[in-house]
Order: sequence, then structure tokens, then C-alpha cells
Amino acid sequence: MITEIAWKNVWRNKPRSLIVIAAITVGVFAGVFSIAIMNSAIVQRIDASVNEELAHIQVNNKDFRNSSDIKSIIPDYNQVVSEMMSAPGMKEVSGRIIIRGIASTSARSTGVEISGINVEKERRMLKLADKIIPGTGTFFESETRFNRAYIGEKLAKELNIIRYNLDEEALSRLREKGVPEKIISGLEPIYGERFTSGRKLQKAVENLLGEKDYKKFINPVMEAAWSYREGSRIILTFVDINNIQTGAAFRISGIFRTNNDMFEETSVFVPEEELRKLTGLKDNDYHRVIGLLDENSFTEEATSEIREALSSYEVLNWKEIQPDLAMFADMMQQIYGLFMAIILAALAFGIVNTMLMSVLERTKEIGMLAAIGMNRRRIFIMIMLESIFLSIVGGLSGMAVGGTVIALTAKKGINLMQYSEGFEAMGYSAHLFPAIDTNFFIITTILIVLTGILSSMYPARKALQLNPVEAIRTE
Amino acid sequence: MKVIEIKDVNKIYNSTEIKVHAVNGVSLDFDQGEFAAIVGPSGSGKTTLLNLLGGLDLPTSGKILIDGEDLSKLKSSQLIDFRLRNIGFVFQSYNLIPVLTAEENVGFIMALQKIDRKEREERTWSLLKAVGLGDRLNSRPAKLSGGQQQRVAVARALASRPKFVLADEPTANLDSKAAKTLLEIMEKLNREEKITFIFSTHDPRVVKMARRVITLEDGKVISDEVKKQSNDPENG
Ligand SMILES: Nc1ncnc2c1ncn2[C@@H]1O[C@H](COP(=O)(O)OP(=O)(O)OP(=O)(O)O)[C@@H](O)[C@H]1O
Ligand SMILES: [Mg+2]
Repeated sequence: MITEIAWKNVWRNKPRSLIVIAAITVGVFAGVFSIAIMNSAIVQRIDASVNEELAHIQVNNKDFRNSSDIKSIIPDYNQVVSEMMSAPGMKEVSGRIIIRGIASTSARSTGVEISGINVEKERRMLKLADKIIPGTGTFFESETRFNRAYIGEKLAKELNIIRYNLDEEALSRLREKGVPEKIISGLEPIYGERFTSGRKLQKAVENLLGEKDYKKFINPVMEAAWSYREGSRIILTFVDINNIQTGAAFRISGIFRTNNDMFEETSVFVPEEELRKLTGLKDNDYHRVIGLLDENSFTEEATSEIREALSSYEVLNWKEIQPDLAMFADMMQQIYGLFMAIILAALAFGIVNTMLMSVLERTKEIGMLAAIGMNRRRIFIMIMLESIFLSIVGGLSGMAVGGTVIALTAKKGINLMQYSEGFEAMGYSAHLFPAIDTNFFIITTILIVLTGILSSMYPARKALQLNPVEAIRTE
Repeated sequence: MKVIEIKDVNKIYNSTEIKVHAVNGVSLDFDQGEFAAIVGPSGSGKTTLLNLLGGLDLPTSGKILIDGEDLSKLKSSQLIDFRLRNIGFVFQSYNLIPVLTAEENVGFIMALQKIDRKEREERTWSLLKAVGLGDRLNSRPAKLSGGQQQRVAVARALASRPKFVLADEPTANLDSKAAKTLLEIMEKLNREEKITFIFSTHDPRVVKMARRVITLEDGKVISDEVKKQSNDPENG
């Protein structure tokens, strides 16, 4: 009965209740949606880091990470593999040879980390093979008698393997993209010219088009002019097992693109057997074994079991390898908390205000209820229920709107192109796919109800302070 | 049998600059089944006295016994429960819960008493029929006239099976026809169901229908007369 009256009382002053509900809806939606966007950046970063770069867990020779010595190999590869495979949630493991070296072309050279990998296994385990830029080759699929290397776009640019050239093909790509003919003909002076870096092309385009059109069209022009000659070669130099400087030419098998500039710029992947021939490492000589779990949630448990079983090795999971990422994820949790706290506080003020108005408007009625025998507890509950209903209706509709918008945007994502440089320099994608887990929804709903209860206290107490005699006095 | 005993009750308001002796040394008894009017000029203390009888307010001195139970001995939470179980109220206005229908308003007080649904429905229906509103069960107060609202209030007051019903100027906001109807209903309930009514009024036509008239002036009882039943023309 009291529940029913409370519910009806909520709808007594419809405009007022609807305004509060709308305000709560907007607040909750804004909170949930912005958290979903922030969250997506982290989730995608973790996903990339685990699935493209590191896997979940790695086991190293104890000295390897300090010394980077080619001789710091894993003494008993088979034992490590079998211990890792018996850890909870472990899906697959694979050994890696890891060597520091220098990559160079006739134009440039730069320091890199060369990973000798089991091509078949890693194709299954990691998504790196999918990250290939179309038209740049394959993930070690073509057989040649040359050594092969799979490198990132950033490194390819650094080494001048990628050029920019407005040839016929590039011009037709520009037309396809709908770049106006006026712009294309404006670029005539640089038709066919080969630029060795993106910056040089940018400068030329800016000079030709002027600042306004440059800003508008530089991205499609850069993309169209991007050119790469298949089968380009790089030289990799490093020391072999006998500490002798050695090196060889490698054909580019393919070029990959990720959102992590650092990773793209320093990683070179090579089939392990090619590296073995050059370094003198034997079969089953690896520096690191990487392990991929079925699910991220096994990370802690699997790490500690492997660590116990392989005490003479260095066992690290992705959180430990990238403490900054783990810390950032943690920090984001706190920011979400702060965010929600602010929104809930605003919600509380809205409810207190509305309910207080509603109680003061009804002094005579509440006085009458007390006079005819509705006790304090029941009056308190009635006012409290009214507040709770307000917050639940507002909160749930906010969650519903938020959930719908997230679901709608999650498929296509939100592309923050303008900021992509900054994002990718830090290893984050600028193309965000808003995501939020169900737990968050449940917890938020509970918090909204709690806020409703808390903010009903003051108006409900105010209602109890009414003296029935005073309240029903008719002047 | 005495249902109410008032023994030398005083009520003094000190709140304002001047001291107001709103009820001054009143001693009265009421029997079961009375139909009594309290009259007197404005400010004579009628409302104050009714509030004291109803346990809405406590006297400055003196005793009020309801069925032998001293109201001043009850804690305020017990007092609310006591009111719920023993006293029916009809106020001048703001009697009903606006979001509830007539039926729900009457049922509400029984719900507070935890009476089960079936009994509630039956009793609500017969009470609303008794006050002539058997066809307005589902109307909200806003859809009812002032007189109809007061009749719902009477039905609501009776729903809890109280020992007596207090009504402070129940007809003050009604036109004379509606006032007459309300009083006739109350009188009939009193006669047939032996319901005790104590009401205050300014209206001479209402006073005429009372069987006992208590006149207050400056908080004092200046007359207390009981009419013979046969004097009442409505009683024929
Ligand atoms: N809460 C209060 N504080 C101070 N004085 C009060 C209070 N309530 C009533 N009084 C005073 O007590 C006296 C009696 O008031 P009461 O309301 O009982 O009169 P009444 O007979 O009901 O008048 P009316 O016919 O106008 O309703 C009046 O002088 C009034 O001003
Ligand atoms: Mg009065």
C-alpha cells in the first residue's frame, strides 16, 4: 500500500518528476558513456599489447634481460614448455630467439630487437600476421632463397623503405577518394617525384596548396602517395654465438601497422631457422618462451604457478612487463570511481532538492497522515520510496540510453582521427570502440539506488519533524 | 459507560509574546453513542479541545482518559498507534490522500491496521455505500465535490472501527445542502450503528441536529445541555 502511494506520489507533479528524471538520465548516460570511451582505449591497448606484442606470460633466462647476451639461453626448453603448458588457462606457448642488432639500408640505420620466431605457431597465437598492410607482402608465406624479415611501418619509414610518390596509380587513387580535380591538378609540379620521407612530401604539398587545403587534403594525399617496392631489402647486423660481428641481407616479407609506434619502430621478426644459421644457435636454443592464455583473467594465477615451478627463470606477465599500462589501467579505475562519484553527487542534490520541495508542499497532507495514525516509520518509508523510485527510473533510463548508444557505437567505433598521432605515439589507438562490462552496469545500478536511499534521508526526516497539529491547522 | 473522561484540563500556549489560555479548567465526560456538538465563538478553544481529545496535542495540566487509559502516559509513538486504533478523524479540509481513489482512501487506514484485503474490500464498500457514495468507488478526491470528499472522510474515519469520531468543523467548507446531507449521514450512523461523534461547528443548523451541545467561551465550558431525543424532528 505504501509502495503504491509512493509510486503514485512520484507522478503527482509530472513535469517536475520528468525534469529530475531527465536530468538523472543525462547525467548517468554522460558518465557511463564517457567511461565506456576511456575504458575502450585501455581495453584495446591491453588487447593489442597481449595479442600483438607480448602474449600474456613470458619466461626468460634469468640473466637475459639485463645482459641481452646471445648466450643467455634457456637451458631446458622442453621443461619450460611442459611447465608452462600445465599452468591454468594456458593455450599455447612458443620459443623466441631474441637478439639486439642494427637494421640498415643504404640511406639509414637504426637499433632494433630481432625476434627469431616459429612462424607457424606465432601465426596461430598472435594477431601480428593480421596487422600486415595490404599490398606489402605476407607473413612469411612466400618461399624464397633469401632471408626474410617482417617489420613495422614506422621502421620501414625510418629506413626509407617507404617512399611517397604521386605516380599515375596514386593520382587515380586520389580521384577514387573524391579529392577535387582542382586539388589534384594543383599538385602537378610534384607528379612523379619520389619523396624519401613523409615530411618532405608534406612540405611540398603545403607549399603548393596553401594552409587551408593542406589541412583538408594532406591525409588522403599521403595515403595515396604511400609507396613501397615489394622485395625491398634491409641489412641486419648483430653478434653471433662466438661474439663475432655478423650480418646478412633480409628481404622484407611484409610490413605491419599497429597503434604502438615504439613497437613498430624497433621490432624485426625473422623465421627462427634463418637466425639459427646466422648465429650458430642450435635447435631448442631460445632466450624466451611466450605463453598465451585462454583469457586475461588467468594471468595472476598462471604467473604464480609458473613462477613456482620455474624458480630459476625469470617469469613475467604483461602487467609486469608493462607496469605503466597496468598502472594506467588501475588509475583509470580510480578515475571512473571519481567520475561516478561526481555524477552520483549531482544526482543526490537533484533528488534532495526535488523531494524537499515535494515534502514541504505536502505538509498538510503529511500532517493528516500522521494524525490519522500513519506512524513515523511508515511516513519515512513512503518519502524514501518516492526518492528511490525517482532515482531508479532516472538511473535505469540513463543506463538504457548509455547501453544503447554504446552498443550502437561499439560496432563502428568512434574515430578520433585528428588526435591519432598523439594517441599512437603512446601506443593507443585513436579509433575507439566503446566498451563496458556488465559488472560495471550492475554496480552502477546498485550505486544509483544507494544514492537514492541516502538522498531520501534528509527530506524524509524533514517530513517527520512536521507536527500534525500545526500541519493541519487551517488558517 | 464513559468513553472519554476529561478532568480539569488546561492548555496554555506560551509560544507567542502573550500567554493564551486556550482551554481553561475543562472537565467533561462522554458516553458511548453520543452525538455531541462543541460550539462557541472563534478562538474559544474548540479546535484545541478536540486536538487534546484526539491525542494530537497534550494538555498543560489535567488528565484525559480514553476508555480509562491516560493519554499523557503514552509515548508519542504509542500515541500514533493509539489514534490509529481508537479514534476516527474528520478534518475541515485536506482529509484525503489525493493520489488515491475514494475506495483506496478508505482502505488505506485498514491497511495500516493490517486488516486483510478481503475484509478491507467488503468493509470499504459497505461504508462508502452507507455515506451514499457506492457508485464513486474509483473516483479520486479531485473528481469529488467538497461534500462528497467529507463523506469519504467520514467513511475513512469509521473504517478503523474507532471508539469515537472527532470532527473539527466538518461542514465549514460546504454549502448548506451538502452540510445537511453530511450531518444526516453522521446522525444515521450514530443512531443505527451507535457510533460516537463529537464535532465542533459554527453552523446553527448543525447545532440543531446535535443531541448534546457544549458551549465554550474563552476556553471555559459555559453550558452543557442534553436535548431530549424526541425534540429532534429528524428522528421521527
Ligand atoms: N499553536 C498555538 N499557539 C499559540 N496560540 C494558539 C495555538 N493554537 C491556538 N492558539 C490560540 O488558542 C485559542 C483557541 O484557539 P482554537 O483554534 O482552539 O479556537 P477555535 O475555537 O477552534 O476557533 P475557530 O472557531 O476560529 O476555529 C486562540 O486564541 C488561538 O489563537
Ligand atoms: Mg477551530
